[in-house]
Amino acid sequence: MFNEIIMTDRTTFAIAAAIYGAAFLFGLISLLMRRAYSRTIMFALLCGGFLIQTIALNLRGTEIKACPLGNPFEITQFLAWSLVLLFFIIGPAFRLRLLGGFTAGLATLLVAGSLALPSWDTPYPTGIFGDNHWIELHAALAIFSYGFFAILSLVSAMFLIQQHGLKKKQFKGVYQYLPSVQQLDLMARRLLITGVIVLTASLAFGAVFWINNFELVPIFKLTATCFIWLGYLTVFILRIQKKLVTRRHAIATIALFILAMASLWPVQSARDNEALIEGLPTQVER
Amino acid sequence: MSEVLESLFVLGTSHHVTPLEVRERFALTEAQASDLQKQLHTLEGIRECLVLNTCNRLEIYCLADSIERAKEISGLICNKQNLSPELYQQFAYSHNNLEALQHLLEVSAGLDSQMVGETEILGQLKQAYATAREAHCTGKVLNRLFEKSFQAAKVTRTQTGITRGKISIGNVTVDLASRIFGKLGNSRVLLLGSGEVGEKTAQALKSRGIGDISVSSRTFENAYTLANNLGVTAIDFDSFVDQLVHFDIVICSTAAPEALINKEAMARAMNQRPERPCFLIDLAMPRDVDPSVEEVENVYLYNLDDLSNIANENLEARKAEIEKAREILKKHAWNLWLLLRRRELMLKA
Repeated sequence: MFNEIIMTDRTTFAIAAAIYGAAFLFGLISLLMRRAYSRTIMFALLCGGFLIQTIALNLRGTEIKACPLGNPFEITQFLAWSLVLLFFIIGPAFRLRLLGGFTAGLATLLVAGSLALPSWDTPYPTGIFGDNHWIELHAALAIFSYGFFAILSLVSAMFLIQQHGLKKKQFKGVYQYLPSVQQLDLMARRLLITGVIVLTASLAFGAVFWINNFELVPIFKLTATCFIWLGYLTVFILRIQKKLVTRRHAIATIALFILAMASLWPVQSARDNEALIEGLPTQVER
Repeated sequence: MSEVLESLFVLGTSHHVTPLEVRERFALTEAQASDLQKQLHTLEGIRECLVLNTCNRLEIYCLADSIERAKEISGLICNKQNLSPELYQQFAYSHNNLEALQHLLEVSAGLDSQMVGETEILGQLKQAYATAREAHCTGKVLNRLFEKSFQAAKVTRTQTGITRGKISIGNVTVDLASRIFGKLGNSRVLLLGSGEVGEKTAQALKSRGIGDISVSSRTFENAYTLANNLGVTAIDFDSFVDQLVHFDIVICSTAAPEALINKEAMARAMNQRPERPCFLIDLAMPRDVDPSVEEVENVYLYNLDDLSNIANENLEARKAEIEKAREILKKHAWNLWLLLRRRELMLKA
């Protein structure tokens, strides 16, 4: 059905970015006007953006005949999609005020930002995952775990803003609409635990492939991924031991997410370089 | 008597000109305030006097044979509280005659309060007046002034909207607690001291669903009585520091001359509950909580000034009403001033 859509996948992604942007602006303007935004409108806008982005991902997936996770652009798009999907799961259940607005903001940044960098959308060989569904599952789970970490960094940012307001005795503005510090801290703990479990599962599936295809996994990618996983695992252990809590926990999770995002491009470059060295085709007609 | 009226004055300090840390140095205990009043009354040339001592102000209303007596009283306060005259000069104020009258009316109507429009000050003024009258420190002039000021306060509140939209310390505390804990149902509250503001704050929290409240006071009987009134439990004052770990919200309103909770004690408690925040509300004067406690991670400390600033954030909307109230009080002050002078002239004649 989606194949019959005339628009290209990049145009569809751009429409999704515009809808997410509208959701973010709606939240921002409401806050600047010192009133809480309508959750229904925010939810509807995010639903619209999510639906369009799903279509765009489907178009891209049909084209490459695999889960679209082959370059930084697709990874970022899939990450933004996971982020919004997680918001739909977490938002209504825990009713964290302003989480929708923050999610819309980060989704806009990720979707529009990756569209603005054409170099991220480099062509790559079709069927990069081959026939190995384990490695496809590994990639999808890894990006899904990054979705958890993305929403965790949003919750952490909200925690830091609320805590700053409380410490500096600020009462009006965004502070009065944010959830309580205790709610945010509790949510951050849950998201960290779930994210680490999903990432660990993803690495376990990836390890099965790595053991059998040692030479196909770029060492830089392996190192960077393990480094990020170890980082989150350390934060997780310290959090369980109550040694890294509240403010420091929030800062650590935000820093780790920035690091994880920053590692996407070098990881991809390393893979492309290795492909070039090995003489594998890196272009695909799109 | 016209000369007498010319030496009506009020001197003191209040939240308007004096920061919290300096107000602490001016603060008197109930017994000290009573002593000061007696001492003033025995001073030569002081005909009538009244000491108003609240957490936000220390004011002395006097009728003396000369305005110069104000300087003697200032010196006495400096000696009593171990204050340098420079510090006193920097932060104290004085008003004479009609200005003093106008000031008293504004104080009683709550216009001069930290939380504009609050009514608690009227009760405190009435209490101070009753104490002074009982001790025979007030006479015909101050009696009339204070009784008229109570009437004027009532008229102002009825004729203007100064109390409309007013936020109490209890409401601000509940809102802040919600920003820290979210739902308050599971929070545990410790009320230190048996002061009225503390009690009202605890009541506000109770009305929002907090069931677990403990009261502790240096005098166990007071704690027990307050606990009975609130329908909560009383705990031993000597061990409250060791039990801090169990409480999410601590309301302090004791009359202790020194801080009861310091940074080390709080850090010790927080080490045992690193994930759970602690909200400290210090309503005491002098303060019960060392300001450095705020540096402890996950601790949120609010004192009287902080809460009042938040409560006054909607002041702009009430500005017109406040001006209206001020005009009404000006008329009252002027009429009262004329009345006093006329009476005196008649007596002279």
